[in-house]
Amino acid sequence: MATVQFKKIVKRFGDNLVLNGVDVDIKDHEFVVIVGPSGCGKTTLLRMLAGLEEISDGEIFIDGLLVNELHPSKREIAMVFQDYALYPHMTVEENMNFALRLRKMDKAEISSRVTDAANILQLNKFLQRMPKQLSGGQRQRVAIGRAIVRKPKVFLFDEPLSNLDAKLREEMRVEIAKLYQRLNATILYVTHDQVEAMTLAGRIVIMNHGIVQQVGSPIEVYRKPCNLFVAGFIGSPTMNFLSGKLSVADGVAVFSNESITMPIPAFVLPQKEAVAGREVVLGIRPDDVLVERPGGEKCSCKIDGVLEVCELLGHRENLYLKVGAQRLLATVEAFFNRSPGSAVSLCFNYQNMHVFDKATEQRISE
Amino acid sequence: MRDNMKKELSAAAKRKRLNHLLIHAGIILFAAACVYPLLRIFSVSLRPGDKLVSMDLSIIPAGATFISYTKLLGDTMFLRWLWNSLLITLATSFIGVSLASTAAYAFSRFRFPGKKAGMILLLSSQMIPAGMLILPLFLMIMKLKLMNTYLGMIIAYSVSSLPFSIWILKGYYDTIPRSLEEAALVDGTSQVGAFWRIILPLSTPALSIAFLFNFTTAWNEYLVARVVLFSSKQYTWTLGLFELQGQYITQWGMFAAGSMLVTVPVLCVFLYSSKWLISGLTLGSVKG
Amino acid sequence: MNILTSIAEVSWFILLVAAGVAVLIGYLYSHFKFYARSWFFPAVLAVFPALALAASGALLGGYTFKLWLSFLAAEAAIAVFFRYAVKGRHTVPYLLLAPAFVGLALLLVYPFVFEVYLSFHDLKLTTIMMWKNTGTLPFVGIDQYIKVFTTSPLSETTFWQLLLRTLVWTFSNVFFHVLGGFILALMLNNSIRFKGFYRTLLVIPWAMPQVVAVLAMRGEFHATNGFVNIVITKLLNIFPFLAHLGVAPVQWLTDYPLLTCTLINIWLGIPFMMVVILGGLQSISSSYYDAADIDGASYFQKLRFITLPLVRPVMMPAVTLGTVWTFNNINVIYLVTGQAGGTEQADILVSALYKAAFTYNRYSYSAAFAIVVFAMLFFFSVFYLKSFDAAKDER
Repeated sequence: MATVQFKKIVKRFGDNLVLNGVDVDIKDHEFVVIVGPSGCGKTTLLRMLAGLEEISDGEIFIDGLLVNELHPSKREIAMVFQDYALYPHMTVEENMNFALRLRKMDKAEISSRVTDAANILQLNKFLQRMPKQLSGGQRQRVAIGRAIVRKPKVFLFDEPLSNLDAKLREEMRVEIAKLYQRLNATILYVTHDQVEAMTLAGRIVIMNHGIVQQVGSPIEVYRKPCNLFVAGFIGSPTMNFLSGKLSVADGVAVFSNESITMPIPAFVLPQKEAVAGREVVLGIRPDDVLVERPGGEKCSCKIDGVLEVCELLGHRENLYLKVGAQRLLATVEAFFNRSPGSAVSLCFNYQNMHVFDKATEQRISE
Repeated sequence: MRDNMKKELSAAAKRKRLNHLLIHAGIILFAAACVYPLLRIFSVSLRPGDKLVSMDLSIIPAGATFISYTKLLGDTMFLRWLWNSLLITLATSFIGVSLASTAAYAFSRFRFPGKKAGMILLLSSQMIPAGMLILPLFLMIMKLKLMNTYLGMIIAYSVSSLPFSIWILKGYYDTIPRSLEEAALVDGTSQVGAFWRIILPLSTPALSIAFLFNFTTAWNEYLVARVVLFSSKQYTWTLGLFELQGQYITQWGMFAAGSMLVTVPVLCVFLYSSKWLISGLTLGSVKG
Repeated sequence: MNILTSIAEVSWFILLVAAGVAVLIGYLYSHFKFYARSWFFPAVLAVFPALALAASGALLGGYTFKLWLSFLAAEAAIAVFFRYAVKGRHTVPYLLLAPAFVGLALLLVYPFVFEVYLSFHDLKLTTIMMWKNTGTLPFVGIDQYIKVFTTSPLSETTFWQLLLRTLVWTFSNVFFHVLGGFILALMLNNSIRFKGFYRTLLVIPWAMPQVVAVLAMRGEFHATNGFVNIVITKLLNIFPFLAHLGVAPVQWLTDYPLLTCTLINIWLGIPFMMVVILGGLQSISSSYYDAADIDGASYFQKLRFITLPLVRPVMMPAVTLGTVWTFNNINVIYLVTGQAGGTEQADILVSALYKAAFTYNRYSYSAAFAIVVFAMLFFFSVFYLKSFDAAKDER
């Protein structure tokens, strides 16, 4: 296992700047997930580590060794591709031992590694089958098995679960988590699905437009998103955003837009004098919008709104509310039992409120 | 209301059946026109020796015999001609497909200066009138003292189907996902190694189509052969068959027998692989 | 024993080609890989010309100082090119392309250039021995080109008559090919039984070797023993009144050679169009027709508004290719009329130039003729492509 460093990585496709000075540090035995929307450059970054893309500028180190010019097969990495890339004309066993055969490894060693991997992934019955005889989930496991037998320094996963249906995705997520526990390997995992990021990662790297937005553990990124993009990207359902203006009245910060006016307590926004008069965006997660419930001291005063649509999800319910011209989403316990169009009262949980500067999109609350 | 619909339905069904009958009739007419000349050759090949030139239209003539076949195989060099054709065609196809497979891979997977120009060159070479290059080729082969030899013929034929083969193979390679080669690169092959071990084994359908196309083009070729080969022993079967149709005497029987002997295998091969050939053609046209 | 020698001859040739390809690849590879080394220039200027000289000496026998100098110069130019222009990039694609493109250069580009060379000189039956021995020819400038437009390639027909005939030939053939192919494809596109069987039968004219097919069809047009005239005679026996309308057995090959060739070529060419159009028809999703049925469209309306527009992108390349092939089709004309005892009446441009070269031995004339035909085709296709692109952009 090894460490990986990306130093000031720049990547241009013609005139198109895809990666603009990316710095990422991956420690030994760490599971790092790079997450972001399509086109943010995450797959490009992964492929540059693998050696499948040329590096316009910057350096990549594996275990302290500069690998910019190194051929992919010499970097001691293994990659699991999005479409599995299993060789269709070889059996599962041949797919798995192909790389080892190329390195002219000892036959006994090869077969023991393949058997071990097959045991871990429960592929023993399929070793003589051809890829087209396998289901999507089985093919995925063969692709992972092919990576395991290499005993690489770093595992690279390129959106491995994108081609699976929802149920299979859940199962495979658990498999990958268990695999990490068992192998304790250095893993770099790329996905656009924030649920995978949150559940699998030891650390998350969030990217957008070729720039790293935030790096941190899942909880850090969830609880303290450093800008609007991260706040809106992480967490499902998406955070509510209220645009408005901050003013200071009687030593208390007040947020107001055309629909809502409410004070912001000091523990949320300590430097209220510095930010007076600014345009801000208030962020509050649907979980923290309390509807028809007693607030408590850490909650705002009651606000009146109208219920537009409710979506029953089984154990929770999504309530689409409207306050004046402002639309909000609240997630509550199931069986709210109010019909669309009825008036409801809601309040916000100050403890999990975020304030962002509208112009810089950076977080300004504590 | 329901009665109306029932009447409509049965009328529609009747119309449909009538339509189908008409279609069947039309197709049978065309199909007969397509097959009939072949059947006539068959019948001529079976005619007894004295009635070779006659106005008889029956498919199996009276007194049908195989004498034309035996005379053809015994008295002429027909087998030798077939052998010549086979050698030349196999060598040509082998060389053509080998050259095309690597070139098509370069066009499919790489970006390099001159790629567009190369593709345009390939496409425009299809437009050169066939007769145009026969003359310089003839003179070149004459100068190299390769007239009337296998080598001369193979040289003349080997690149004639190259542009088309490259087109077909490139179209097929484009459908193979690049992640397979990338996986092979990560596993430890070189780029060319990935081509050899992964892409080539997967391309057997397209390679077969290209081989078949090369084969049939060279096998059926007449004009170049007529110019390069001049001794009976070296003839391909196209020239040989022509020899049977001399200026004053036409050996109709043997000519027909020879035609049958060549056509039937070609037809079988063609029909067996027709699905592939047609999909290969549409591959190119849909992508291009 | 003959069999073994012929196998040996062919195998030897394949090995020769493989060796040649290997040498070519090795040569290019060494240039790509070592362009940056300090000993690159000395090595290439010394080693390669020496090797080339040895090889050519073995093949062609003897060398002159001039030859050695030209090898040196060529090698120096190539080395400079690799060192300063190419710089070792794109090694792999160029190496992969090299065999095919060297083959094309030798057997496509060089003959073309040679043809141009020929057209400015005078190579005919009387000068060919001189050329074989010394390799030179009298230079005549554009004399051959003038002759192309003023004199006749064979004995009677002029260039302009041939051009007109070729255009008539091309358009009438392509028209019936497309029409026939379309009708057949439409008929086959229904869910009828025996569809596969019918398709197999209908493809036979295309699958048969062209030599056999054309000669067989030619036989059918024979004045007395051919199917066509026999049927006409039988019809006249049954319906004598037809004789008054002018229906009679026709001397096809002597009186109407071009018509005969056209009929034969139509028979040959319909299957290809049918197959392509059928493929296009089958790729049209049936949901379009379902929607049109609900809207109440008749059969011909569906044909005009759905089928035709959607089949056009598949048809266009096939029609273009078919037009070019028909324009350049020597085979049918030559096989039907080109033998001794045949006629010139049916010649089109390309068959006339083939006959001029190989029956009349007017090689340079034929070369100039070919260049003129090629130039015509080239400018036409450039013009056609440009207008096609313009039309596409407009849409």
